Amino acid sequence: MNRYRVAAVLALIASGFMIYQGTERPVHAAAHGSSSGSMASASQAMQQPPAGPVDAGAISYAKHCAICHGDQREGILPAFPPLLGIQRQLTDEKLTAFIYTGKGRMPGFPKISKDEMTALLHYLTTTDQPAPETTSAVGASGSNAALHSSRLSAAGSSLFQQNCAFCHGRDAMGGETGPDLTQSKLVQGDKNGDAISGVVREGRPEKKMPAFNFSSQELLSLVAFIRERETAAASMKGNRRGVAVADLQTGNAQAGKTYFNGAGGCSKCHSPSGDLAGIANRFEGLRLEERMLYPSGAKSKLTVTIAPGKTISGTLAYRDEFTVGMRDADGTYRSWATNRVKYTVDSPVQAHVEQFPKYTDDDIHNLMAYLQTLR
Amino acid sequence: MKLLKNTLTIAALSMSAFAVLATAPYKLDAQNLDNAQILHPAPDTWPLYHGDYSGRRHVHLKQITPQNVGNLSLAWAFQTNQAASIKSSPLLVDGVLYFTVPDNIWAVDARSGHMLWHYNKPTTQGDHIGQRGVAMYKGWLYFVTPDCHLISLNAKDGTVRWNQLIADVSKGYWTTMSPLVVGNHVIVGVSGDFDNLNGYLRSFDPETGSTQWQWDSTPPAGTPNMTTGGMTWMTGTYDPDLNLIYWGTGNPTPVLNGKSRPGDDPWTCSIVALNPDTGKLVWGFQVSPHDTHDWDAVETPVLVDANFQGKPRKLLMQASRNGYFFVLDRISGKSLLTLPYGPTNWATGIDKDGRPIPNPDKEPAPDGRIIAPDEGGLTNYRAPSFDPKTGLFIVDAHPSWSLYFAKAADGNYGWAGADYGVWGKGVIEAIDYQTGKIRWSHELGDGGSGAGVMTTDSGLTITGDGAGNVLALDTSNGKTLWHAGTGSGMQSSPISYELDGRQYIMTGNGGVLFAWALPESAASTKHAAPPTDK
Repeated sequence: MNRYRVAAVLALIASGFMIYQGTERPVHAAAHGSSSGSMASASQAMQQPPAGPVDAGAISYAKHCAICHGDQREGILPAFPPLLGIQRQLTDEKLTAFIYTGKGRMPGFPKISKDEMTALLHYLTTTDQPAPETTSAVGASGSNAALHSSRLSAAGSSLFQQNCAFCHGRDAMGGETGPDLTQSKLVQGDKNGDAISGVVREGRPEKKMPAFNFSSQELLSLVAFIRERETAAASMKGNRRGVAVADLQTGNAQAGKTYFNGAGGCSKCHSPSGDLAGIANRFEGLRLEERMLYPSGAKSKLTVTIAPGKTISGTLAYRDEFTVGMRDADGTYRSWATNRVKYTVDSPVQAHVEQFPKYTDDDIHNLMAYLQTLR
Repeated sequence: MKLLKNTLTIAALSMSAFAVLATAPYKLDAQNLDNAQILHPAPDTWPLYHGDYSGRRHVHLKQITPQNVGNLSLAWAFQTNQAASIKSSPLLVDGVLYFTVPDNIWAVDARSGHMLWHYNKPTTQGDHIGQRGVAMYKGWLYFVTPDCHLISLNAKDGTVRWNQLIADVSKGYWTTMSPLVVGNHVIVGVSGDFDNLNGYLRSFDPETGSTQWQWDSTPPAGTPNMTTGGMTWMTGTYDPDLNLIYWGTGNPTPVLNGKSRPGDDPWTCSIVALNPDTGKLVWGFQVSPHDTHDWDAVETPVLVDANFQGKPRKLLMQASRNGYFFVLDRISGKSLLTLPYGPTNWATGIDKDGRPIPNPDKEPAPDGRIIAPDEGGLTNYRAPSFDPKTGLFIVDAHPSWSLYFAKAADGNYGWAGADYGVWGKGVIEAIDYQTGKIRWSHELGDGGSGAGVMTTDSGLTITGDGAGNVLALDTSNGKTLWHAGTGSGMQSSPISYELDGRQYIMTGNGGVLFAWALPESAASTKHAAPPTDK
């Protein structure tokens, strides 16, 4: 073993080394600072090999199968299928035959002993199997049967459960903070998966969606899974969690108009025949209500005094405590350190923030009813 | 010191190859963390998720001050090369940092950022939303996986000693938390509110991994008219004198539809006090009775001994996700103060026990309800800090508004509704714990930050904004004294330690761990010896 050889060499180098070892201090703790180079390699050499699987089937799997089918039997799609749940697809006899003789690209393993084969089969068919719910997207809402019609979407499901489900729900129908993807306009209008892939790859920073560094193959599998969920959701009756346009029709348009022109203060900035003319043709349902409450993406104006008496204005493009940035009239991006210049931000959208504590739920529903008349 | 002297003597007598190794003037203690060290952490350690049992995230280090923090610079950075953000608090024991992202642990030299070992075992099941760090006891680490295993590893090299099941991932559980070591117990909680599952805390034997006890926060799934949920996904705190652990519990399930679980739904959205040896409940205080907004009460239960309104008290404070700041007597669990620390509109008042009274009209409805704060809450899992000198409880707040929907067709399983954040921003709020009043606020901009907070004895508050800046604020007034752009927001809570007379402040931003310190010359010449207590 390499580690013994290194220790022996070191012991020869310095007689004091054995005393040093006797204090039972870990070798890696000595790998500090500039002298770490030589010791780091000793430290690595002296590491215990990782504790291996304990049962013979797992050992056999790790030796023969894991390189293609993955450490966790998850497969490497599309080339190598996952083996989780394989007992539901193949009988023990079939599995045994495959392993002994191989199939297609899969090599045979004729030299596996009978005992090892028994252990391997046991490992493949009984150990740590996920129950159907795990990879099922729908949880308790049932109708699992149509799911996972393809391996691609099965791989996508696994990826989705690990990375996306927290926000978008396990069934892609919305969860903590994330929207229902089965009702997403972007998903519905995305013929070849490019738009979905783009959002996944680049994220949506303004909505706090992170970017994911998935391979093209992984993106394809995710798109396949989302598509499958879209189909499943469309065939579901009365079990959607999203918000339908019909849900948002409880308000009174006349009361909404009164609020618009009075207590709401909306008419100070907006006009039903001006900026809001035809608004209900451009947005509907939840999208309209969200924009009504806070039109995210609304422009603010940044004015910076760059010399006494000399200012420059543009559209606010960035702002934190230390930097402000704008797109000027030419479309050029300019930014300044906030402690070097005087600046003002004109942000009419702030009136929407100030309105939040003043709304009743009825105000919102009435206002929504009124806006829907602006066609 | 004696060990060090021996080593140096040996080095002097040995041949050159060995001398290079030993002349580095570092302590070479074994990786061995005992109960006394956990109970009274030295300034050169961070042996628990919160640094100590109190959860105050306040360090008694004074080298970096409001006067010199302007010189703070990068000591080193460690790149994990992972897409996952660091959500863990590193542990520091005997000069080695241990930190995580899901499926990964790194052991890194705290002085240099040099990697000692890396454990990486991909799991294919369970939510990979976050990993909040390892726990350590004696020479062993304790690590939970997305697929609900508790793994004990050798701190020296990351090899696995044993592996135990915490929960059944196939039912919808997952695990993310940093276990709490108390005495001879490794205490672990669970996550999972996509399904109607009961929450629990389980105590494992540190040596064998066998279960010592389990405390259920809610009855088994399927109990008629009873809630499920109450997940236990954040690390609790501990009072050694009372021998009580304090733990926050998560929301009930179904999440947004409360009709199938009438009443208060104990012990969801609660702070509970348990005996760590038996797992028996001593008291519980429900922060959000009958929650229908997903406001887990898992934020740090911060323990402080102080005069409260003229009387010496053992206090527990929580700035909760539901928007209220709570001060409790932690012996009895009785309320001393309940006040909102930002916009809230879902309660009609405070009941005689100090609990907000949920307004039935603000339960999610088919046509939507406007609610403050949003589902992420007025704060979330990143830690607040308590500064004893100023009496300020400093928390990363998220004033926000949202729409909550639920209708019969949504059913009564899992999420059972939908909610949409409309707007939010980030503010650091400094709450006077005696009155609940905000003494200062530091705006962090639209969207919000989510960074944790740490304070120091010298009067600094360390946190981050939503744009990826690390901030050092003046604890007395909230003014910015120093900042550094890192390119990614802080999804964790800062820590600080002192090694070889040099104080480090550590932040995780994105997938990079940053160690900040004063330039070495400034650290060694301008400052007196550090205090030894912490």
